[in-house]
Amino acid sequence: MKRNWLTFITGLLLLLIFGLLLFVFQVRKSEMAVVTTFGKPNARQYTEPDAYFRWPWPIQKVHKLDQRIQNFEDRFEEVLTPDGYNLLANVYVGWRISDPKLFFPKFAGGSVAEAEKVLESIVRSAKNEIVGKHPFADFISTNEKELKFAQIEEEMLKKVQSQIAANNYGVEIKFLGIKRLGLPEAVTQAVFDRMKSERQVLVSRIENEGREQASNIRSAAESEASKTVAEAEAVANGIRGEGEAEAAKSFAVFQQNPDFANMILKFNALEQTLKEKSTIILDQNTSPLDLLKAPEPSRKTQSTNTK
Amino acid sequence: MSEHDHKHPVAPAPVTPEEAGSQALSHALGSSFVIVRVLMIGLVIVFLGSGFFTVGPQEQAIVLRFGRPVGEGNKALLGPGFHFALPAPVDEVVRIPITQMQTVTSSVGWYATTPEMEATKSEPPPGPSLNPAIDGYLITGDANIVHARATLRYRVTDPIRYQFDFANAPSLVGNALNEALVYAAGQYSVDDALTRDVTGFRDKIYNRLLRLIDQQQLGIAIDPPTVQVIPPRQEPVKTAFARVLDASIQRDKQLNEARRYESDLLTTARADAASITNSAAADRTRMVRFVAAEAKRFSDLLPQYEKNPEMWYRLQQTEVLRRVFTNAQEKIFVSSRADGKPRELRVQLSREPQKPSQK
Repeated sequence: MKRNWLTFITGLLLLLIFGLLLFVFQVRKSEMAVVTTFGKPNARQYTEPDAYFRWPWPIQKVHKLDQRIQNFEDRFEEVLTPDGYNLLANVYVGWRISDPKLFFPKFAGGSVAEAEKVLESIVRSAKNEIVGKHPFADFISTNEKELKFAQIEEEMLKKVQSQIAANNYGVEIKFLGIKRLGLPEAVTQAVFDRMKSERQVLVSRIENEGREQASNIRSAAESEASKTVAEAEAVANGIRGEGEAEAAKSFAVFQQNPDFANMILKFNALEQTLKEKSTIILDQNTSPLDLLKAPEPSRKTQSTNTK
Repeated sequence: MSEHDHKHPVAPAPVTPEEAGSQALSHALGSSFVIVRVLMIGLVIVFLGSGFFTVGPQEQAIVLRFGRPVGEGNKALLGPGFHFALPAPVDEVVRIPITQMQTVTSSVGWYATTPEMEATKSEPPPGPSLNPAIDGYLITGDANIVHARATLRYRVTDPIRYQFDFANAPSLVGNALNEALVYAAGQYSVDDALTRDVTGFRDKIYNRLLRLIDQQQLGIAIDPPTVQVIPPRQEPVKTAFARVLDASIQRDKQLNEARRYESDLLTTARADAASITNSAAADRTRMVRFVAAEAKRFSDLLPQYEKNPEMWYRLQQTEVLRRVFTNAQEKIFVSSRADGKPRELRVQLSREPQKPSQK
């Protein structure tokens, strides 16, 4: 009995699993589903993730569709701006299937790749049209006010969205961005030439600036230096003048006897002059060397002797 | 069988070969059924047990039961550890890398290179010009061409959205980075993007990225990207850019030299000025003192002089001459000629320098 009970449970489990596989299908969180009954799509839409009941094949077939946002990129192609630039532009689009019932019949088996083929031509024509309305300066400009980059993306988005809506593809375009801009190879060559000459102009400007600035610094320094010295000399003269003025007060003393004053100064000067490294040539008449001559008899001495 | 034996206590019936064979078979079958049953139960246990799973430290996981997440919103996220889910096809475990930093690099704007060349830091030779099909580049705001490359590190902050709402979320993040790069380059002049305002350029990209991530609700948080910008590698553009750099360096050197000259000159001038005024001050002091000293001496000596001028003169003269003769280096005494005629003296100049007197 125990044996049968266990077998029964196991058998039931197997049956359950079998039933799940045949009569139930899941819609995963990243998916949506369309169910066809004998090849014709059901009216009911399966967009919420859950498990649903179905009849097994060949009565019903479940087609899974991706509900996630897809990343579509178009080709890097030339578009012509109104001011004659052959701009190369590459655009990327975030889109998703929004209405499986509409989408499924239009694109075989709900294929994303099929839809992207259609999307590509829509995007290309939108790109051509919108870019054809904007001059080159709208794409690139150092003046932020002139730049219309985001606006161009916005216009392309709206254009693609309206095309999609008009055709009832069951698709939703979430966002659009310009991925890449470029120029034809021949044009890049011309750009290089221009860049080269711009750089050369810049080089000479830098050199001139450098020369001029350096020379200005030097001459300013020189003028400042001589000014400083001249000012100092003026001050120095003033100081000396002060000294002389103060000294002049003392000169008043000398007025008491100018001749005597002169004499003292002369004596000083003589001594200072002959202080070092002097060679003096004397003759015997200079006092006190006149003592070296034979003494002349002096009357005073004789008179002393006779006493 | 056993009952039968019990009722008839006779010798057991002889076992025929056919009976023995079928006996053995049913015995074997009986035991093999046991084995099969054991196996089946074992399989069921293993099947149920396959639901256990672990979540790593850098991940989170969601259990989809019949496709629907178990739990509401963010509560559905399971953290690191040991968890149980029913086995497939009932439950599906989806792992999402969440705390680890993802990295994405821009795919437009840089010249064509390979990972091997990147690793060895070499580069492919630049062609004569840029072929848009092969080489990437950006157009700057002043219609110049540069190469730029940005690397972005980001974290997934909304794992459910990141995982389930985008078919290829990393690719979309990459394209947002590309768009931001093209957008920013078109607003910056080549000089600003290359050298003068590199931070501003990077910030422009960063802010544009934040805007796009918010608009598109990518469910990530980003660090500011690292950006690398270089001028084209084609000659003569490359050399032209290098020359500008050289010219800038030269100019800076020139200016530094000029400033050094300025500094030296002014320092010297100030020093000279100070010495001029100091020397004047010293002169003044000296003069004042000298005259004061002389005046004092005069005043001191005047009374003596006035008492006897001639005597004072003779005394003074003798004293001064004594000192002079002591200090003089050489004294030459010339006696008068007997005949009274003046002597002729010849003086040889530029002799050996005299030694200073030793005092």
